[in-house]
Amino acid sequence: MRRFRFNSSASLLALVLVVGTHVSAVTDDAIKIQFDTAKTGPRAVEPLTQKSILRDYRGAWNSMAAALESNSLDPLAGPFIGEARKWLGESVSSQQKSGLSRRYADQNHRVQAVFYAPEGDVIELHDTAEYQLQILDQGKVIHEERVTAHYVVLMTPSADRWTVRLLQSVPQF
Amino acid sequence: MQSFLHCGVVCLALFLAQARAQDITAPKSAVAGEQVSLSIAGSGKGTFYLIGPGISNKHEINLGEEMKLRGDVLRTAGDYQVIVCGDPCKSATFYVMPAKPFSISFLVHPSRVPVSQSDAVSGVALPFDQFHNLVLAPVPINFQLAAGKASLLNKTEMTQSGAAWFRTASSKSAGALQVTAAFQDISAKRVVQQVASEPCNLRLTGQRNAKGILVQTEPVHDCSGNPVPDGTIVSFTANAGGVKSTVDAPIKKGLASAQMDANGAAVISGASGVVMGNELRMGAK
Repeated sequence: MRRFRFNSSASLLALVLVVGTHVSAVTDDAIKIQFDTAKTGPRAVEPLTQKSILRDYRGAWNSMAAALESNSLDPLAGPFIGEARKWLGESVSSQQKSGLSRRYADQNHRVQAVFYAPEGDVIELHDTAEYQLQILDQGKVIHEERVTAHYVVLMTPSADRWTVRLLQSVPQF
Repeated sequence: MQSFLHCGVVCLALFLAQARAQDITAPKSAVAGEQVSLSIAGSGKGTFYLIGPGISNKHEINLGEEMKLRGDVLRTAGDYQVIVCGDPCKSATFYVMPAKPFSISFLVHPSRVPVSQSDAVSGVALPFDQFHNLVLAPVPINFQLAAGKASLLNKTEMTQSGAAWFRTASSKSAGALQVTAAFQDISAKRVVQQVASEPCNLRLTGQRNAKGILVQTEPVHDCSGNPVPDGTIVSFTANAGGVKSTVDAPIKKGLASAQMDANGAAVISGASGVVMGNELRMGAK
């Protein structure tokens, strides 16, 4: 039985904000995120907006990890829309057919907001993510590695949250 | 001797790691939608896994044969992992890069804007390939704003991390503002409706009739001479012998009018937004 650890610490250090509040019962570790908005433009990211984006981006990774581990589409319904929702849904469907699953653990994200639209309707993040990735075939681990990946993320505000519209991995920034 | 042994262990580990890495030969990167060839060393049967954005495939293969991955399984940009399990499992990773720009996602704000406002219109353009991957290589996006035949803006911005943007003032004339973002033969068009700003001057005229005083404005314009939209409220106030009465009237066909109850001498004024009109002094009936 895997356990999860609840992390509710929040600290502010210089321009880097580290907040840890939300944990899904499906993932075993709290997702650590450092969020840097020092070089964001042309619009500045207000502290409340920053907090909301952090909360929802963390929630998106929790949901993605849950969906790809349990091969369920349900966790994807809220945090993802557009292309991100589409390819994640295809990943889950493809895994259901092949009997594969993925497990993301011990996630650590260094996120930099690089573009925030003048009217605040889209924000682009660059995420350097480190995590333990396991690939399982019928529940048996066939591959495991410590991954450092780079993601370009587009998030847009919806009625009550920020949603991930694009999650695209790149070799480097 | 100890350091020699240490070096030997490290060198052997490096050699083995390289040998394993060479078992699957994959391109370092590929382009979305294009076929990729993989070379997998070995002999006998193995299980092949392809894991990437939108795909998790598994099937049996003959080791030692070249494999071709069709372009339609590599449409989504990102990193793909190839795992081959014979004895033992080996893996390799390659990136699929976005293809060339195919469409532009163009966000323009606002949809309706008063004329002559600084930094009032802004737009963000994001180029995507035909598979809806964000194109991150710099792309020159040409922004054009035109009101009628007059060009208000024509400038090219390179995308940075997949986004280019502009911000500019609205023009002096009410009407449709055509906003275009273009790259080569790809373009996206939006329309911003420019409307008159606040009324600039209110000129009131009035005349007595059987019911009291009929007061009306002259045609109401903003400071750029654009007619203020119908529905804008003008408030008329009559002060007759210390008794005040107010009537709110919407502008219709450029004019606002109201019937005021005032039999005695009255001073009538009008206002719309922050603009006050002239005072009318009407004598007793």
